[in-house]
Formats: sequence, C-alpha cells, structure tokens
Amino acid sequence: MRRDRWIAITTVVCIVLLWQVAISANGLHAKVPSPLGIVAAIAAHVADGSLPSALRDSFLRVAKGFAIAALIGLPVGTAMGMTPILARAVAPFLDALRSIAPIAWIPIAVLWLGVRGDAAVFIVTYAAVLPLALSAHQAVRLIDQRLLQASHALGAGWFLTLRAVIIPGSIPVLITAVRVSMGFAWGAVIAAELAVGVKIGPGQGSQGIGQMMIETLYVRRDVDTLAMCMLCVGLVSLAIDAGARGLGRRLAPWKV
Amino acid sequence: MEGLIPRIAITSLGKTWQGRRGDVEALRDINLAIGPGEFVAVVGPSGCGKSTLLSVVAGFATPTSGKVLVDGLSVDGPSPERGVMFQDYALFPWRTVADNIGFGPLARGVKRAERLEITQRLVALVGLDGFQDRYPHELSGGMRQRCALARMLANDPAVWLMDEPLAALDPQTRIVMQDELLRIWGDERPADQRRAVLFVTHGIDEAVHLSDRVVVLARRPGRVRAVIEVDLPRPRSALRSSPEAARLVAEIWALIRDEAVDAIREENG
Ligand SMILES: Nc1ncnc2c1ncn2[C@@H]1O[C@H](COP(=O)(O)OP(=O)(O)OP(=O)(O)O)[C@@H](O)[C@H]1O
Ligand SMILES: [Mg+2]
Repeated sequence: MRRDRWIAITTVVCIVLLWQVAISANGLHAKVPSPLGIVAAIAAHVADGSLPSALRDSFLRVAKGFAIAALIGLPVGTAMGMTPILARAVAPFLDALRSIAPIAWIPIAVLWLGVRGDAAVFIVTYAAVLPLALSAHQAVRLIDQRLLQASHALGAGWFLTLRAVIIPGSIPVLITAVRVSMGFAWGAVIAAELAVGVKIGPGQGSQGIGQMMIETLYVRRDVDTLAMCMLCVGLVSLAIDAGARGLGRRLAPWKV
Repeated sequence: MEGLIPRIAITSLGKTWQGRRGDVEALRDINLAIGPGEFVAVVGPSGCGKSTLLSVVAGFATPTSGKVLVDGLSVDGPSPERGVMFQDYALFPWRTVADNIGFGPLARGVKRAERLEITQRLVALVGLDGFQDRYPHELSGGMRQRCALARMLANDPAVWLMDEPLAALDPQTRIVMQDELLRIWGDERPADQRRAVLFVTHGIDEAVHLSDRVVVLARRPGRVRAVIEVDLPRPRSALRSSPEAARLVAEIWALIRDEAVDAIREENG
C-alpha cells in the first residue's frame, strides 16, 4: 500500500513538472493554464477573499436547494413506498419529469425568479428532488417484509413502524441517494450560475463559483483563474461525498 | 383437551395464494384446536403450507375459506396477543438487544421505567446479560435466537407462534435451546401457567421432544394427515432419546417419508 502511494505521488509530481516546463517553453500562457499560474491565482483570490466567498455562496445555495429537495422528496418517496396506490398515481409523473434535464429549466427559472441566486437554488432543488423521491420510494420497498410483520405483531401502529422500522431501514439506501443527488446538485448549481449570467448591477448576478468563472471568462479572460475554479469545483465535490459517507457511518452504525 | 375452551380454534381453513404464475392452494380444510397451555408442533414436507398456516394465525395473511378464532375472536391482522418468532429472527438491525426486546412494550405504550424492568428481566431469563447494548450483527446465532425469543416474550402473549425458530442453529446449540425453550415455556411448572404454542419445525425428533401433540401435514394441498399425541411425562429434558420418543419419531417419519422424497425431487427439478 505504502509503495503504491509513493508511486502515485511521484507520477503526479512528474506530470505537473512536465506540464509547467512545456508551457513555459511554448508561450501558450493565454489559452492553457499552468501549475504556477494556478497557484498564483489561488493565492490572489484567497488573499482578497473572493474565492472563499464564491465557494461559500455556491455551497450555501446547494445546501438550501438540497434541504428543500429533501423536505419534499423524502416524505413523498416514503409515502409512495408505504401506499402503493399513491405510488402508482405519482410515479409516471415523476418519471416524465425526470426526462427533463435540470439545466433545461434554467430559462423558466430565470423567467420566474429573475437573474438572481434564487433561480440557481430552484435548479438545485429540481436536480435533487427527483432522485431523492425515487430512492426513498425504492428504499421502503426494499425493507425486509419480515421486519414490518414483526413490528405489527409486536403491536406497533403505522407511526411507530414508520419511525422505528421504515425510516432506519431506509437509511443505507438514502445515504447513497444523498451522495448521488448532492453530486447532481453541485453540478447543477455551477451550470445555473454560469447561465444566470454576469452581475449587471448591485444585487444582481449569482455571486457563486459559476459566476466567478463566467466573469473571469468574459471580463478578465484569465485562464489560470478558470482552472482554479474547476479545481475547486472538483475538490468541493470530493468533500461533499466524503461528508455524506461520514454521515452515513454515523447514522447507520449497525452497518459496518 | 375435553372441557377446555381452545385458545386457538381453526375450522375448515383453506388458503390459496394468488401468484403471478397462477394460484397455489397451500392449505385445504384444516381443523385444529389448541388449548391454553398446549404445545402443538407442526411437521410436514417442504412446501406443505406450515408457514402459511402460521401466517394466517398470526394475521399476516387472510384465509381464503374457513376461519381462525383466538380466544373466540376472529383474527383480523396481527396483534401483540399473538407473539411471533421467525426462522431468521427478523430482529431490527438498528436496535440494540435491549431496544429490540423493549420494542413490544414501547409499542403498547408501557412507561419507560416499567419497560426497562421488563427488558432487564427478559435479558436475564434468556441469558443475555452483558449483551444489552450490542447490535444483532454483533451476536452469535444462538444469542440472536435468544434475543428474538425475549422480544416475543416481552408482550407476554397468550399465544406463541414459532416458525422453525431453531432451524438456523448448529445441532448442539439447538439441543441446548430446545431445553431452554421448554424451561421458559414452563415445562417444570403446572400446565395452567403455560402458554399455547404453535411450533413449526422440520425436526421430527424436536417436535416429539417439545410438544404435547404433533400435527403432520400432507402437501399439495396442505392437509392434516395425522395428529399424534405425545404422551411423554414432563419435564422432558431427561427424556431425550427414550425408547418411547424414538417409537413416535419413527411413526411420524413413516407418515412423511414418501412425500418428503417427492418434495426434494421436485425442488431439484
Ligand atoms: N406469499 C406467498 N405468495 C404466493 N405463494 C406462496 C406464498 N407463501 C407461500 N406460498 C406457496 O404456498 C405453498 C406453501 O408454502 P409454505 O411456505 O407455507 O410451506 P412450508 O411448509 O412452510 O415450506 P418449508 O418447509 O419449505 O418452509 C408453497 O407452494 C409456496 O410456494
Ligand atoms: Mg416455511
């Protein structure tokens, strides 16, 4: 294991060095980012606070949109799992909606909510709510029938069965669903912020990392800053995934 | 049984499962009465409807014809008055041993202090002291089985419905648990302190060792082929492998053998 890690690190270091040398030798600075340029961009944008603030804005937007999605999607999906009639009524509608990609909603979101962050929150909610609802539905259906029978035979009504059997029994599936839909949500917020466009006046624009990218592209044309944004988008993705997995271990200690 | 009101009265019970590949008549015209303190075992070849019978009495499945009365009332749905124990135990994986055992009292709205008391008493009764805070996956098979038994007992149900509760245990643990089960049921106590038990098993010797009567089912459809009285004195633990028990086992095996062979042939295609 230890040796594998050293090989990986060495490889990465070599590639980064080669990359830097190639760009310095070629004078491609304007179109291709360079490692040193990215480091400089990070230093500058951390120093003036714009990078942390952009990341925070985007992240809060995802958190808000995701929370709304969870508040709608999880109860709807769970209810569908518990009442097959409801599932038969609602499932075709959800499946139809699922075929419309989140970014296809951007124009309508802008029409409804204007060129502000709210449009991006809407897109995030939309991106996350369907996978959450469908997974919650699936999670309930996957619960061992014996556990439900045991619960009823021990005298539990529907509420205790929901609280003590169905919800904990759904958690392992839901953790995976949260990880996946958080990924969708984070992807969607970048797309939405990109599309919502440049800050025109005070209170306008979306202020997130996607906004920073579009501004960099159209106003400052700085390729190193663009690469820095992409790097950060990736890192936040990894952090979200690790966080969701950690949460899963906390919430489901019976699953080792 | 004369003179006693049966705790469980099954009359002309029929059950047909409706499946995607047509209907399966699992039970036909079952008649059976079980007294308040009686231990009745059900044996029969694989697929003869033993689990179906238990499901109907438990209230998980509705009869297609006939009826099941428990204490004179028609069964409609599960009730804490009828405790159920499953072969694979169906313990709640996310609840500790104590919380599994305390689930029934919790469901019945028993106050916390009393719940704790019940749980503690049962933990001691089934010999799980020191394991209250473990999760089911941290227990051995025998301990899970004890936990499932304690969970069922926590409601002090008048009827115990048990579907092959010892089948998943290794042979030695199974023997220990048979005697443990008898002790908890009240093998050594007077009959009026015992509960009615409907006990499904594949083990004919187990059925003879534990029960007052053995119901032998035939398959396709499941019918009562014979009811064998087990007139061995209690307590039974000393009586393991008595000649009388061996004679009963042989008698029951003779009733099942041909069908059991058929069942195995069918299962293997
Ligand atoms: N929920 C169900 N839906 C449809 N068919 C069922 C269902 N449960 C059981 N059956 C069918 O009913 C018949 C009797 O099954 P049952 O499980 O009661 O037998 P069993 O005696 O318990 O068998 P085993 O000894 O293998 O446990 C079988 O043919 C089975 O396929
Ligand atoms: Mg069975």
